[in-house]
Amino acid sequence: MTRAAGAEPLVVGLGSPDRGDDGVGPTVAGAIAGLGLAGVRVSAHEDPTDLIHLWEGVDVAVVVDAVMSGHAPGEIVLCEVGRGEGPLPESCWAKTGRGGTHAFGLAAAVELSRALGHLPPRVVLVGIEAVSFDHGAPLSPAVEAAVGPAVAQVRAVLTEASAGLDA
Amino acid sequence: MTHKLSDGGQVLHVGMLARVEGEGGMHIEIHNNVVQSVKLNIFEPPRFYEAFLRGRKYTEPPDITARICGICPVAYQTASVEAIEQICGAETTPEIQAMRRLLYCGEWIESHSLHIFMLHAPDFLGFDSVIEMAADYGDVVEMALRLKKAGNDLMTLVGGRAIHPVNVKVGGFYRMPTKLEMLALRPAIASGLEEAFATIKLVSTFDFPEMEQAYEYVALRHPDYYAIERGTVVSTSGTAFPVREFPDHVKEFHVAHSNALHAQLDGAMYMVGPLARYTLNFAQLSERCKAAAKEAGLGETCRNPFKSIIVRAVELAYAFEEALRIIDEWKDGAAPSVTVTPRAGEGCGASEAPRGTIFHRYVLDAEGVIQDAQIVPPTSQNQPAIEADLREAAQSWVDMDDHDLTHRCEHAIRNYDPCISCATHFLDLRVDRS
Repeated sequence: MTRAAGAEPLVVGLGSPDRGDDGVGPTVAGAIAGLGLAGVRVSAHEDPTDLIHLWEGVDVAVVVDAVMSGHAPGEIVLCEVGRGEGPLPESCWAKTGRGGTHAFGLAAAVELSRALGHLPPRVVLVGIEAVSFDHGAPLSPAVEAAVGPAVAQVRAVLTEASAGLDA
Repeated sequence: MTHKLSDGGQVLHVGMLARVEGEGGMHIEIHNNVVQSVKLNIFEPPRFYEAFLRGRKYTEPPDITARICGICPVAYQTASVEAIEQICGAETTPEIQAMRRLLYCGEWIESHSLHIFMLHAPDFLGFDSVIEMAADYGDVVEMALRLKKAGNDLMTLVGGRAIHPVNVKVGGFYRMPTKLEMLALRPAIASGLEEAFATIKLVSTFDFPEMEQAYEYVALRHPDYYAIERGTVVSTSGTAFPVREFPDHVKEFHVAHSNALHAQLDGAMYMVGPLARYTLNFAQLSERCKAAAKEAGLGETCRNPFKSIIVRAVELAYAFEEALRIIDEWKDGAAPSVTVTPRAGEGCGASEAPRGTIFHRYVLDAEGVIQDAQIVPPTSQNQPAIEADLREAAQSWVDMDDHDLTHRCEHAIRNYDPCISCATHFLDLRVDRS
């Protein structure tokens, strides 16, 4: 498989590891990093504005974050928000992370990237429905149980992206 | 959303105040076009951390308190290590202080650039958000992102991480960055410096509502430079005292309408933050910063809260200047930390968070176990000033419709860059009219 420089898929786990279920993004990213997948860039960040630089020039980005969208705790929500997709429904995503206190949220980072022309062709948001954002708390049981399925979802996106590049 | 009240009045409820970190509530009551009351209600995680710190080891506060806020972790870390080192009688080296200042410059750059461009500028330029602003001011937003990234990179180099630095310890650092590593960042810092001065010019062209507030300003002052990471406490009324005496002067108290403690200095309301620092320490800015401030229309004091965006831009440029100075003067080989041996006692630390002075106080037993902890964040100290501004602003704009009045009030709140993650989640703004 050959791949243009800078085109390797990007996986970002978003959230604070110290705020309960907000830590699920970094937890999933850590698990993906542990798989040692060749040609995949993996990192964990707390500030959504980092995404605007991180995914510049990237073809496929997967962002994993805690969400509060009204689904059952631990439920995984997938959302395609790449270039060409419609605007991200802020009502679903603005409350992600740190109990809804990101000064500049994920939805805003996506939409600002779109406005500036930095948004990758494909961005997949893997959201895990969160329960608690308490200081110093561990992942809640429902969210902990969702880590494995979330890793599988990220791998599925990466496999699909790899197949697309190979084709 | 507007509701009719049983007394014929109105309640305007705004679900969330955008572009303010955190959660809280602002209630404005207007009767017969006269503002009757303004109440800010925020919740403070620092209170949770004060309890959490008790029983922990004296080495833990920099790591624990950094978790309070993703925007200003260095402020918490620096005030905590100052306090612990004071108790233990540890004297740090000039190199350790220089590195703390460099890390702090990274935080100022990151925080000020975020607030100036992403959160505050849209208010002045008539946009609901920076996303809409990007359509007309794409180059400006790109510049903002470059500036913020320079701060992030500096924090990552010195602190080990861009958010919640892990390289800070009581007594110094786990590891000093090398000159070579610093020089790799130098071009971005040098370029950021010029863009910061361009920022001063840009924000000086905004329209500023007329408002002059005569609050007592409080800030740290250092004998050698514009205080950031340490200093003694000074105020515009002439009060001056070492940080260890802050518990004698700064008193926190409950008010009925807020979960957060308010604070008074010697029994009176006061204000901390960029306007206070600038007014109290203008003489210590660089000549270039002073000239740029003058060109931007500022005097040696600034008492218009809306012009805080210009002052932040001046401080942004100063932080870049200081970062360059420290990098250029740095020589490898300094010990990253000094030994700190625990002993019983009480100590206080303070530093200048991007949004104002933060105080920490700790009590240790002989084994270095924390017996008591007190954290006084800047947003709590500024709550009365924010309420007073809102009272005046809402009165002068009382004839506006609820939408415009809400927007203006949000703007007035953002003048303080309230870091309500030190405090809260969503801010409800409610205007009751009757």
